[in-house]
Amino acid sequence: MTSHAGPLLEVRNLRIEFPTRRGTLVAVDDVSFSIAPGEVLGVVGESGAGKSLTGAAIIGLLEPPGRIAAGEVKLAGLRIDNLPYDEMRKIRGREIGAIFQDPLTSLNPLYTIGRQIVETITTHLNVSSGQARRRAIELLAATGIPAPERRIDHYPHQFSGGMRQRVVIALALAAEPKLVIADEPTTALDVSIQAQIITLLKTLCRDKRTAIMLITHDMGVIAETADRVAVMYAGRIAEIGPVADVIHRPQHPYTVGLMGSIPTFGREVERLAQIDGSMPRLTEIPPGCAFHPRCDRAFGRCSRERPDLMPAGASQAACWLHDAASRRAAA
Amino acid sequence: MSAVPRPRAEPVAGEAIVRAERLSKYFDVSPPWLNRVLERKGRQILRAVDGVSFDIARGETLSLVGESGCGKSTVARLLVGLYVPTAGRAEFFGHDLRELNTPAGRPLRQKLQMIFQDPYASLNPRWRVADIIAEPLRAHGLMQDRQAIAARVDELLTLVRLSPADKEKYPHQFSGGQRQRLSIARALATHPEFLVCDEPTSALDVSVQAQVLNLMKDLQRELGLTYLFISHNLAVVHHISDRVGVMYLGKLVELAPKRTLFAAPRHPYTRMLLDAIPDLEMTGRARTPVAGEVPNPLNPPAGCTFHPRCPHAEARCKSEVPVLRLVRHAAGETQVACHAVEEGRIDRG
Repeated sequence: MTSHAGPLLEVRNLRIEFPTRRGTLVAVDDVSFSIAPGEVLGVVGESGAGKSLTGAAIIGLLEPPGRIAAGEVKLAGLRIDNLPYDEMRKIRGREIGAIFQDPLTSLNPLYTIGRQIVETITTHLNVSSGQARRRAIELLAATGIPAPERRIDHYPHQFSGGMRQRVVIALALAAEPKLVIADEPTTALDVSIQAQIITLLKTLCRDKRTAIMLITHDMGVIAETADRVAVMYAGRIAEIGPVADVIHRPQHPYTVGLMGSIPTFGREVERLAQIDGSMPRLTEIPPGCAFHPRCDRAFGRCSRERPDLMPAGASQAACWLHDAASRRAAA
Repeated sequence: MSAVPRPRAEPVAGEAIVRAERLSKYFDVSPPWLNRVLERKGRQILRAVDGVSFDIARGETLSLVGESGCGKSTVARLLVGLYVPTAGRAEFFGHDLRELNTPAGRPLRQKLQMIFQDPYASLNPRWRVADIIAEPLRAHGLMQDRQAIAARVDELLTLVRLSPADKEKYPHQFSGGQRQRLSIARALATHPEFLVCDEPTSALDVSVQAQVLNLMKDLQRELGLTYLFISHNLAVVHHISDRVGVMYLGKLVELAPKRTLFAAPRHPYTRMLLDAIPDLEMTGRARTPVAGEVPNPLNPPAGCTFHPRCPHAEARCKSEVPVLRLVRHAAGETQVACHAVEEGRIDRG
């Protein structure tokens, strides 16, 4: 793709729907964000908040009947959400790499890992198979797999979980994509391996200026890895901003509750902050701000009007508390 | 009900009610006999838990942490009698847990209950909540009268901050956090003293995890419960525990009061684990990840099983198995199984 000033990935007013017999469920509603080249955007939220669906929509892997109902996704200035299947296939792997939670399902058990990496390289880059194999060995070495020239001919089951995830990372980075979508890349791994994988992902992408969309429910991983964070709740972004601000100066009451509910080593507390209730099901999303029934700072407007992202401190939050007009009215 | 295992009238607070002595569980994972004969292979024994000793005082929370395959869940199952130990013994109120599976062990069984990891799998989807929670009461023959059972179910639901009206519902009508409360209510039905909690919050989202952890702490205070808490999440363990044991490949490598363990970890593996966890306070921190992975437990390294990953390993570590010893240091007392600590080769505090 040609060089392009501005963000690498731009998602605007994305809406994902699931038509069902009992009506249409809106799983992701009016989500907008962008990622700059070389930037790591963390996306956090509880299960069902819509974070994985957003990632899947960007790489065009939404499972039917799920579909993009509105909005657009632009990669380096070009729209990719309405591309025909074959066009999208060329972008997937070449421009956008993907890493999923379970490395075993991302790899074909019947082929050696070398064959899978070489296939990815020769599909997207104009190189001979010999060159592709040499490049595959380099990639495996870069991801920290010992004796790559021997390991390249092994099958996925011959690797441990951590090593398999390294193979998946090598595969995702094989064609030097500009953007990597990593959906819970370390959730299935033990903590000591988790640290290795996160460090690896960070260094590889820093060296190549690859942007990362890191989807996880683990705030600790985000705190260490991301430049900016988007907090999702019930299919919408509740707050987005620089990582240190969102963690230490959260602006949305949901983020405040979320941060308080995470046990950390820095402070010892008798009780964790708790948000009562749970995230609404897609069929029961309340009108106004979806968080208002659980919010202890909710007021009249919250149950009537849906807030959009508005400036709040150094971040942006979808909360009427940060609206000048409603603050005046409340005062 | 006459043989309730209470050797003394009112046990003193702080007295050890659970005791594991060189507790071991080996699993025979050999290939079938014919394969062994044809392939000329011996039996393969997996030492899931290998000589673990600890005790738990009344009202205390002891946590066991470690990575997958370290044997922490096997210890949990041994302590509730789901597995019979291969060697060593576990005691509960001075009674050997092998008695659990005998008729005489029935009153003992009421005093210890388990909460499982997956609240979706541990509740029968075809039963109403009222039946799920009343099951232990009926199974132990504690109550016959339907009204008394119904009253106890209401009481238990209120105890776990659910509504008595919820008892007509089925498990699928509850969220993950609510289901975990249901399993806590069921565990509490027989007035247990000791709860074994095997990863009770790892299937839950953080905000829901906070609700369950708060509830567990409240219940412990209200009912004087004793917990064995199994988790791989060190932040959760730091929050809930009084004492923490760290397991690696079936062995307890370090055991210390919570503050001592987190402020001054002794064993190189504990230090590695603490360095590896991502924490909110660590924005933008460059990690120093530790190389290597947990070895295959079927073929563990000789000597100290951690030596291939340990920066302090020496010849002795490769040949001699270290045993758990009490070490006094500036930050307190720690039981640790490490030659390097014992010889004073590791400095730092």
